[in-house]
Amino acid sequence: MRGTLAIAGKDLRSLFYSPLFWVTAFLLTLIWSGMYHISLGEFAQRANMARMQMQGAEGGPNLHSEVFTRHVALVHFFMILAVAALTMRLFAEEKKQRTFDLLLTSPVTATQIVAGKFLAGLAAAWSLILLSLLYPLATMTIANFDWGPLAAAYIGLMLLVACYVAVGMFASSLTESAVLAVVMALIFSVGIWFVGALSDAVDSPAMVALFEHLSIGNHFSDFMRGGVGVASVVFFLSMIFLNCFLTQRVVESSRWR
Amino acid sequence: MIEVRDLTKSYGQHKAIDRLNFSVNKGEVVGFLGPNGAGKTTTMKIITGFMAPSSGEVNVAGHDVFEDPVEVKKRIGYLPETPPVYGDMTVEEYLRFVANLKGVERARVPSLVARAIEKTSLGDVRRRLIQNLSKGFRQRVGISGALVSDPEILILDEPTVGLDPRQVAEIRALIKELAGHHTILLSTHILPEVQASCSRIIIINRGKIVAEDSLGGITQRMAGAGRVTIKVRRSPPSLAEGLSRLAGVRGVRASDASANGRGHGAIAALHSAFEIETDGGEDAVERIAAHVVGAGAGLVDLRSESADLENVFLQLTSSEEQQNQGVES
Ligand SMILES: Nc1ncnc2c1ncn2[C@@H]1O[C@H](COP(=O)(O)OP(=O)(O)OP(=O)(O)O)[C@@H](O)[C@H]1O
Ligand SMILES: [Mg+2]
Repeated sequence: MRGTLAIAGKDLRSLFYSPLFWVTAFLLTLIWSGMYHISLGEFAQRANMARMQMQGAEGGPNLHSEVFTRHVALVHFFMILAVAALTMRLFAEEKKQRTFDLLLTSPVTATQIVAGKFLAGLAAAWSLILLSLLYPLATMTIANFDWGPLAAAYIGLMLLVACYVAVGMFASSLTESAVLAVVMALIFSVGIWFVGALSDAVDSPAMVALFEHLSIGNHFSDFMRGGVGVASVVFFLSMIFLNCFLTQRVVESSRWR
Repeated sequence: MIEVRDLTKSYGQHKAIDRLNFSVNKGEVVGFLGPNGAGKTTTMKIITGFMAPSSGEVNVAGHDVFEDPVEVKKRIGYLPETPPVYGDMTVEEYLRFVANLKGVERARVPSLVARAIEKTSLGDVRRRLIQNLSKGFRQRVGISGALVSDPEILILDEPTVGLDPRQVAEIRALIKELAGHHTILLSTHILPEVQASCSRIIIINRGKIVAEDSLGGITQRMAGAGRVTIKVRRSPPSLAEGLSRLAGVRGVRASDASANGRGHGAIAALHSAFEIETDGGEDAVERIAAHVVGAGAGLVDLRSESADLENVFLQLTSSEEQQNQGVES
């Protein structure tokens, strides 16, 4: 446990001391606030129009589906890119700088090393997500809305981003080159979205059901609609576990070369 | 403390080390000596659990490296060939990180870090980023990192590489100082290093141990051998034969010095050179001189060397090489 925390602390510290993290955070803030501002403005216009037409009747445009959903989707898209950049160095840099020798000859297991690195990546990624949560929070000061669906969407987002962290870490463990790691992480992260699309390509109903269950899109849209389903949570957790496990195997196997 | 049995590591077809057997006792400082590519680093990587061998066993302080790696790693401080330092940390932060990683008691961390800094004289740079340090200082940070957890065993892969002469002397003194308290295995291809700090030497070449002895033992082994090089203007065929029959002479070999000399001019071409292995006694040298003069060979040069560690090293490693080449071809 101590070894895990030491490694997590070291990597997190090195991320927070690197320009990479701050430049990413700055650019994301710029884009998110611009887009959020625009969709909130559009929403306000439509809401006014609807109020005039319906004369106080219930209904009209919904803040969650019109503004928050768009915001979460946008945050999600940019997090794919950001997470690939944040995780690229986790293992690749250690191998390149030969500091991996230190980790592998210290009394920590491969599992502890992977856990430490995953925690560091997760903390960095989630801190960006918390940054994006500031916009809906600010909206609270000017509008009343139901927190439930927003919370569900954010839980989904955090789980999905945790998957990307695990995927990016796995990509990083495969190479010494951070550039290659980033490319692989992007291909893997985007690639897993297409697993669900295979359901169109198979005939047997069992296979269709399987691929539909493996579809990240299906699970994520559940969260976006405001539901936290056990199956979806389990799905994301197993994705995370699978990638961490693969990384652990790669680290362990470096002893045998 | 360290026991290595039948250790073999192959990279594909190539055997980097081939059935090594040796042990290092508690408190000993053992020098692991060998030319480039001998397999020193490979052996150390296996002992530290960084790498698995193809076959064989390593036992450290009663724990098998492959069955109980964590226990073994707790007890070892390892300095790899390239010091494993993080450029974006300061010296102090790095040492604290290593101490935590090695799992030393939390309360002891500050004092151990201070001690490691003091021993490697890094006090002046303790708050500097490692990436801004010179190569020699980075090497010292690496040594410091190996020391910081106060391990029972230190495994140092070429610890003085890249240091200036004064620091080399300092590190050698440090190794001597650590000797009683820690068990040390250090690799080098610099001979004075082992002479300065080791109580025992293991010479390894092409993955095999070619000699293993105490420093005194090896010196003694060398004392029993000497070499006389002569250059003569005329060498009747009977000269070499006559020389080899002298008491105290072990072998005579026409050396290639004459062949080299040929390019330098006609005079050099007239000289022949012989390398004569002797028992190291002065009597033998005297008899050789008398014989050559008596044979009227026209002695122009006679040099007598008592073999030093350098010579023995060259002899051991090069004869092995010839044998191996013989086997391969
Ligand atoms: N990763 C590797 N893949 C293939 N061969 C290797 C690898 N590492 C080492 N070797 C080979 O194993 C042999 C021993 O190498 P090793 O690094 O142990 O030598 P060394 O004694 O440490 O040499 P040096 O004094 O140069 O450090 C060499 O012939 C080397 O080419
Ligand atoms: Mg080496």
